[in-house]
Amino acid sequence: MPLIQLTDVEKIYPLGNQQVVALSEFSLSIDKGEFTVLAGPSGSGKTTVLNLIGGIDQPTRGRIEIEGRDVGRRSTRALADFRLRHIGFIFQSYNLIPVLTAAENAEFTLMLQGMTKPARRARIRDLFADLGIGGLENRKPRDLSGGQQQRVAVARAMASHPAVILADEPTANLDSQTAEGLLDLMHRLNRQHHTTFIFSSHDPLVISRARRIVRLRDGRLEDDRVQQP
Amino acid sequence: MLLSLALRNIWRNKRRTLLTVSAMVVSSALLILALGIFSGMLNDMLAAATEQYRGHLVISMPGYQQDREIFNSFVPDFVLLEELDKDPDVLGVSPRLRGFGLLSHGHNTYPAELLGIRPRKERQVTNLEKHLTGGRYPAEEAADEALLGRGLAQKLGVEPGDELVFVTQAADGSIGNDLLTVTGIFATGDTTHDNSLVLVPLAWLQKVMVLENKVHEIALRIHRPDKASVLADRLSALLPGQLRIVTWGSLMPELQEAILSFDASRLIVAVILYLATGLGILNTVYMSVMERTREFGVLMAIGMRTWQIRLLVLSETLIMGLLSLIVGCGLGAFMTLYMQQVGIDLSRHLTPITYAGSTILPRLHAVNEAGNYLLPAVMLLIIALLAGWLPARRAAKLQPADALREE
Ligand SMILES: Nc1ncnc2c1ncn2[C@@H]1O[C@H](COP(=O)(O)OP(=O)(O)O)[C@@H](O)[C@H]1O
Ligand SMILES: [Mg+2]
Repeated sequence: MPLIQLTDVEKIYPLGNQQVVALSEFSLSIDKGEFTVLAGPSGSGKTTVLNLIGGIDQPTRGRIEIEGRDVGRRSTRALADFRLRHIGFIFQSYNLIPVLTAAENAEFTLMLQGMTKPARRARIRDLFADLGIGGLENRKPRDLSGGQQQRVAVARAMASHPAVILADEPTANLDSQTAEGLLDLMHRLNRQHHTTFIFSSHDPLVISRARRIVRLRDGRLEDDRVQQP
Repeated sequence: MLLSLALRNIWRNKRRTLLTVSAMVVSSALLILALGIFSGMLNDMLAAATEQYRGHLVISMPGYQQDREIFNSFVPDFVLLEELDKDPDVLGVSPRLRGFGLLSHGHNTYPAELLGIRPRKERQVTNLEKHLTGGRYPAEEAADEALLGRGLAQKLGVEPGDELVFVTQAADGSIGNDLLTVTGIFATGDTTHDNSLVLVPLAWLQKVMVLENKVHEIALRIHRPDKASVLADRLSALLPGQLRIVTWGSLMPELQEAILSFDASRLIVAVILYLATGLGILNTVYMSVMERTREFGVLMAIGMRTWQIRLLVLSETLIMGLLSLIVGCGLGAFMTLYMQQVGIDLSRHLTPITYAGSTILPRLHAVNEAGNYLLPAVMLLIIALLAGWLPARRAAKLQPADALREE
């Protein structure tokens, strides 16, 4: 059984009197431990796919299953719980909470899960060291570089050991060298922890680093292939 | 951590927070001060009516308080006076005889109300000695000393030491008259009393009016004027014969009405004042929620529940409300205390206003009363909660996907 299964998914956004078809007849299955990129130009539906898998958006039609369970038809409450336990999000613009320190940002999901503070701190210390941002725990996001912020965001996504990490154009705001570093890191985490990574990008350099490339165009699957390293 | 997040969110926009908090502080402090002054005014009115003249409870024959008929007198029972004196809820017991007649000094003659009293007893019930402007309170053993209001003294042209002649119709139909010596002059601000009331020794008045041993009423001062009717019910069991006991409230129904309606008026004033404040807070919290749309999207995406989002926003307003409440009550207490100790005298600009059977003194003078803090405090918290409710709901209703797309 695949980890993630999208079957004939359609997503239509109402826009005034019109309708925007963001995704149509879209099917995709992803196994545990994959390192997959959703590639395609802006507006092709990458973010929509990630949002649907992450359960922060619902499909207009079709089924989305994670570990065999339908994500699309759950209550808001169940979805929040599902995200908390199974999904890690990384966003293009980092989206750290500005009033919290780096460590507090990273441990937020652990806090929501009810983990005690010492246990949280211990895990965050290890994680920060592993991600090369050890010592930055007490900095506020505004005192960190873009690359450092994105690593804190990775730490936040990784902290609760989710099954899937969804990263929407995680390197778009980073220079190419920092982007490379981040991809190396994601690769390593994927290997070491068997965490499934699904990220989106329209940068050829980034796309070339993925093992599987799923190309989208105008909300449809254009191409799906595994490339040899 | 949720609490610390709320606290930090409050400090995020310091200027806006300070503005909102000061609005709440100022409105609650002013409300507390206004209620304190309002209370002070009612206290003044109650005091003017009861502590300067009537007493809180009055025992008399049926109908006497309405017609003040000279024959409607009684011989006070010695045992009754003893028992009243001993009652723990009673602070003072003063038997009184009342006589209306004419007072003359030289060529000046004016009508007056003479209250025959025993100084030691009367001082436990009314406090005219606090309002002396000249001379002294009549002595206990004095035979013919008179304490009179300033207005009357001025019209008669007398000062302490001067002699007065009192003429009245006595109980036996004869014309009673005798001499009095002015010993003191009082001014309460209540024109009815200042222009006509005269305190004289009880025995002297009994002799002039040929009502030996008789009195018209027994005035009482009690511990809890607000519970006067409860005590009246209890004491009425002690009364022999036809005697009746009435409360200040039934003697001055309008005043009682004014005091009883204070709770309602307090509420109305608070609601009106806080309505404006509440809208201000609502606006601020709305703005701060809208600005953080994306942030709420992130929090939801990483697994925060809607109730937690709601709680976050609500605690932000509640914390601001609590902070304002502490500072506002402190400031309000400070201003009330100042107005209690110092007050503002308006007697050069205003004359006393007679209202509801009593007098509103021309002064701003506050009293500290727990209810005057409790209401503004509770209302402020309710307002903060209400003002936080809509934005909190709005934040909790955000769709994370939409919120995240927001710039
Ligand atoms: N909330 C929305 N309302 C209307 N149209 C939307 C909304 N979200 C996305 N779209 C549209 O759906 C299409 C796919 O968007 P998106 O998934 O964000 O693409 P990508 O991430 O590949 O740039 C675009 O045409 C976009 O304008
Ligand atoms: Mg996108």
